[in-house]
Amino acid sequence: MGLVGIATEKILSSFSVFLFLTILLLAVARRISTSVLLFGLQSAIIAAEVFATAFQEKLPEVYIVGALVFLIKVVGIPRAFFLLVKRLKTVRDVKASTTPTQSVFIAAAIIYLSYAAVHSYGGAVHVPDDPLAAAVSLILTGAFLMVSRKKALMQMLGLLVLENGIFLAALITTFGMPLVIEIGIFFDILMGLLLMGIFTFRISDTFEHLDVSKLRRLRG
Amino acid sequence: MLLLLPLTIPVFGAGLILAFHNPRAATRTALVLGGVEIAALGAVVWQVHAHGELQQGRYLRADGLSAFFLMGIAIVSGLVLIYASGYLRHMGEGRFSSPRWFYALVFLFLFTMISVCLSANLGLLWIMMEGTTLASALLVGFYNTEGAVEAGWKYLIVCTVGIAFALFGTIVLYLAAVKAGIHPASALDWVSLMDAAPRLRLDPHLVKLAFVFVIVGYGTKIGFVPMHSWLPDAHAEAPTPISALLSAVLLNCAMYALMRYDAIVSRSVGPAFPHVLLLIFGVMSMVVAGLLILVQRNLKRLMAYSSIEHMGIIAIGLGLGGPLGLFGALLHVFNHSVAKSLLFFSAGNVRHNLGTLRIDEIQGISRTMPQTTAALLVGGLAIVGLPPFSLFISEFAILSEAFAQARYLVVTLFLMVLSVVFGGFAFHFFRMLGGEPDRRHENSKLIPSEFIAMGMAALCVLFFGARIPHAFSLLLREAVAVLR
Repeated sequence: MGLVGIATEKILSSFSVFLFLTILLLAVARRISTSVLLFGLQSAIIAAEVFATAFQEKLPEVYIVGALVFLIKVVGIPRAFFLLVKRLKTVRDVKASTTPTQSVFIAAAIIYLSYAAVHSYGGAVHVPDDPLAAAVSLILTGAFLMVSRKKALMQMLGLLVLENGIFLAALITTFGMPLVIEIGIFFDILMGLLLMGIFTFRISDTFEHLDVSKLRRLRG
Repeated sequence: MLLLLPLTIPVFGAGLILAFHNPRAATRTALVLGGVEIAALGAVVWQVHAHGELQQGRYLRADGLSAFFLMGIAIVSGLVLIYASGYLRHMGEGRFSSPRWFYALVFLFLFTMISVCLSANLGLLWIMMEGTTLASALLVGFYNTEGAVEAGWKYLIVCTVGIAFALFGTIVLYLAAVKAGIHPASALDWVSLMDAAPRLRLDPHLVKLAFVFVIVGYGTKIGFVPMHSWLPDAHAEAPTPISALLSAVLLNCAMYALMRYDAIVSRSVGPAFPHVLLLIFGVMSMVVAGLLILVQRNLKRLMAYSSIEHMGIIAIGLGLGGPLGLFGALLHVFNHSVAKSLLFFSAGNVRHNLGTLRIDEIQGISRTMPQTTAALLVGGLAIVGLPPFSLFISEFAILSEAFAQARYLVVTLFLMVLSVVFGGFAFHFFRMLGGEPDRRHENSKLIPSEFIAMGMAALCVLFFGARIPHAFSLLLREAVAVLR
């Protein structure tokens, strides 16, 4: 077995653990820039997982998907976020509505819940529990970040974490969707982020803050 | 090739309109392009009607159901473009808020909605559905006021998260299809999924899981309670022509997507599971929106909640199934979109003339704005489902199906909500139409573009109440046949 083969085996057997680690770290991250770095790291782990799958299953199309993940989620999106943070001149705190301790407990509960939820379906799809639980907990963590962090930028980041989870679920259960569809989804994510970026500028222009919990004029 | 035509015109049209800096020229170009686009849609509908389904490559396809929804898009977008040509006359030249940006974004929005109806592939359908959110978010926040920015942000976030769940549901269905032995390349094609639906029964859990995620996901775009929070804000803060497009086309497109999934899931695991879910969401949306209509203080929010209520009615028709249920649901899709456009157009006029949409500040408009009042009355009476207007027929069809299936709980709640809504509308409308008008406002007449758009919508509501044309009912029957 060559070096690449060994690396593939290691990645496939251990990436879930690293993903759980990023989830717990995201829960305690207090700065937006830290969270963005963690998201980049998380995407890098997923990109490695995509390449490993492509190598092991000998699917040339999946290499393209891996390259896209790397370019967009590991390089492009974090850079764009740093640019946004700089240009918006916002306070760097994520404005969490839960304390770090509470957040870690919630993240741990999410991981536990994901294992419980996956357990009943794992047999049906012939996939080991760990990666599937990692995917489900990424989805839940993304949702948790969106509701518990008040900064508009963190809501965007939560959405991206959630999307990472969905992407991972598709990858481990079906080796990904057909390539054309996958590219379309990436395009949608990029356009969505671009629009959200435009809206963060508009929010900071019209309200002079980026705290979306204070956007509550429209009710009823 | 015919299917590519209605997709290329709006994309190139959007680019072309951006080249015209003069508002009048941009408006004229948009009207001409809109006319060409409607002709192209008409040609597609005609071809499907005359020769059966059309297929273009692996990703585009039009059958009876697509044709029915495309016809709705053509009619409503035509009305909206005519109305907008007059509505935008006061708009200045802002950075992104000028008529040319407005029309360019409208054409992109139309492109995404038409592609939703022409997708042969469920993955492409998801991509385009997310595209509708992206194309319309800037339109919702178009005025750039505090309310518009808040509504736009909320719309973008809530709908993107919702639709992410629909993506997950799509992936689960794909997984079930691949496991059932469908080739991965065609495992998202609607036709091959329909053909292979009985084989999906091997994994009933997966198919059901997929439908739960899809109904929550696309249900967010439809505006089902409790995922409806974005809808009243977006409808109230968007420019009026956009409110009409959101309510009368976008919600229908999301409903269309749900119908496609419902057909697959019903055929594979039996109709009981998806239909119960549809009934629950439908009744819940109807009841909650019906009660909230009573307490609304803003005219456009009132219309928005009424849209949620009508989406609930359509979901109930779909959930009952059966020949009359489906017939009623599809007919209601069409009737609601025309009547609701008429109401939004009238609300836009009220805002233009009185400068407010608050119901307690609107008084005596029957004297100052007689034409708008007539439109509000026709639209209002139609939307609460009174005969002889068209919505009465579709609601009656859905009710008869519910009676035939002896679903008395649904029938009771349905009728109760209808009477509550009737009371709510009567209460609000009497206050606005009657009373002494504010002296500051002069009498105002409709300008020609508004008169044409509103007159056509009102005639349509009246005409379809009196009789359903033969060609229309044939289209409707073809659409029902696709789903059964």
